[in-house]
Amino acid sequence: MAEVVYEVDDLVKYYRGRAEPATDHVSLDIGRGEIFGILGDNGAGKSTLVRQLVNLLRPTSGVIRLFGEPVDRDPVRVARTVGYMPQSSAALNRLTVAEALYFVAHLRGLTRRDAVRERDAALETWRLGGIRGTSSSRLSGGQRRLLQLAIAMAGRLPVVVLDEPTNDLDPVNRKHVWEVLRAVNAEHGTTIIFITHDAIEAERIVQRVGIMRGGSFTAIGPPAELKRVLRNRMRLEVGFPGGRLPELPADLVYRRTSEDALVATVDAARVPSLLAELGPVDALDFRLYSATLEDLYLHYANGHQETDAH
Amino acid sequence: MRMDTKRPTLIDQFVDLGLMQLSNWRWSWRGMVVTGMVTPLLSALAMGALAKGSGPAAIAHVLTGSIVLALMFENQNKVAQNFSFMKQVGTLDFLATLPVHRFMVIVATVLAFFVLSLPALVVTVVAGSALLGVTLSVSPLVVLVIPLCVLSLAGIGAFIGITARTPEEAGSLTLMATILMLFAGPVVLPPDRLPEWLLRLSDFSPSSYAADAVRQVLIGPVTGRLWLDAGVLAALAALALWFTGFKMQWKSA
Repeated sequence: MAEVVYEVDDLVKYYRGRAEPATDHVSLDIGRGEIFGILGDNGAGKSTLVRQLVNLLRPTSGVIRLFGEPVDRDPVRVARTVGYMPQSSAALNRLTVAEALYFVAHLRGLTRRDAVRERDAALETWRLGGIRGTSSSRLSGGQRRLLQLAIAMAGRLPVVVLDEPTNDLDPVNRKHVWEVLRAVNAEHGTTIIFITHDAIEAERIVQRVGIMRGGSFTAIGPPAELKRVLRNRMRLEVGFPGGRLPELPADLVYRRTSEDALVATVDAARVPSLLAELGPVDALDFRLYSATLEDLYLHYANGHQETDAH
Repeated sequence: MRMDTKRPTLIDQFVDLGLMQLSNWRWSWRGMVVTGMVTPLLSALAMGALAKGSGPAAIAHVLTGSIVLALMFENQNKVAQNFSFMKQVGTLDFLATLPVHRFMVIVATVLAFFVLSLPALVVTVVAGSALLGVTLSVSPLVVLVIPLCVLSLAGIGAFIGITARTPEEAGSLTLMATILMLFAGPVVLPPDRLPEWLLRLSDFSPSSYAADAVRQVLIGPVTGRLWLDAGVLAALAALALWFTGFKMQWKSA
């Protein structure tokens, strides 16, 4: 691994009044220039972990080092090094879009002139120019999310931590976000750590992924490496119009993803016979893929434990 | 990518955070017209009608009480509302991830709301004195007394805003504090109209010191008591703002 940006060593976090730890003996290294994705169910402990990374929460025990220094030794150093995007999208919602970008860039140490340049560049990069004078409180959920992302990235800090960057975004903007993040990482070597539920799209840029369950990682590693456990599995998506579930083979274990769609992970060997059985059913729409990051996430989130692959 | 980022100077932090907080005029001005201008003036009219015939001292108390009421609404209550809102929507968390000092956030917020409250203060003083027929005799010490009143009341508001669990709870607490401080002492009524026990109680009410100080610097005469008022207000402001910083969740150092 390249120079280590974050070293998390046996981190434990208990919230007052809760018997179960929100972070349960987490150890993790994140290298410089890495794009690291964190997946996990609601309540898995993802946000608690990243809030500790940016020093908003004090761990019960364990250490987090940023470029070799414990984060609680010099909190201002963390603030000068890490851009953070909170899950809440309303943090600066009394400022206009342009004001929010300018003030954050300036408070991150840019000169006033450079902060103006940074603001203008961010407005263009994140396609916010048309709403630059709009108060953040009047933005749609998606626009607000883009602004929060632009704010997190303002000031060109070496590390950014993003808590669910694509929530509330439409497919076009989600794609744009991943493209911008990949470009920023490639161009500036920015280390990007993000939480997402958008596993399929995150797969486009993520270099290493950690899957959390019950406060700890059940698997950490590059998606291709982790997906080896699913190499004999295929992802089958079935669409059916009208919201009426057709008669399906009894052995097909599936999950409804919408009114008119379901997804199943099946053995590769079962695919030909399964397609033959489904083929005669009218108006079904099939898509067959090799296992995706989402399948991997579901596999581990459902309780399969894997030795951490650092 | 910048590896050698610097923490902005305290002045830069103050200016930026202050300007960010001044953007609150976008939502606060409508409320200011109602709670900072109309309510104190209506209170002055109503209490003035009751105090008619009780002499100039009673009328002076009505005016200064209305001014303190305007300061409480526009500083104590708005600052409480703003801190509880910032806490609820994650603004304080986000600011804590920027290289700024927590006390700069508090000071910039309090002073920004002071600036935003100036129109209400001026309207209440000018229109209130005209409506009640009080002749103003403004002392230069007004530039010391008004900021001290504002800092102490806003400090109480900041503390309530930080400690309240929700903006609704902060709203209830500030309303209760406003009513208690307004009537627990010689704020809108002169001391000779109050029972002895209430006068003793008023020694613990910041609004009594604020009203007394405001009365001396706007109507006169200024006496040695002003320094006691100023001292209590300064101590209260320092204590409340320090407690606010202490209670504020910030970078976990």
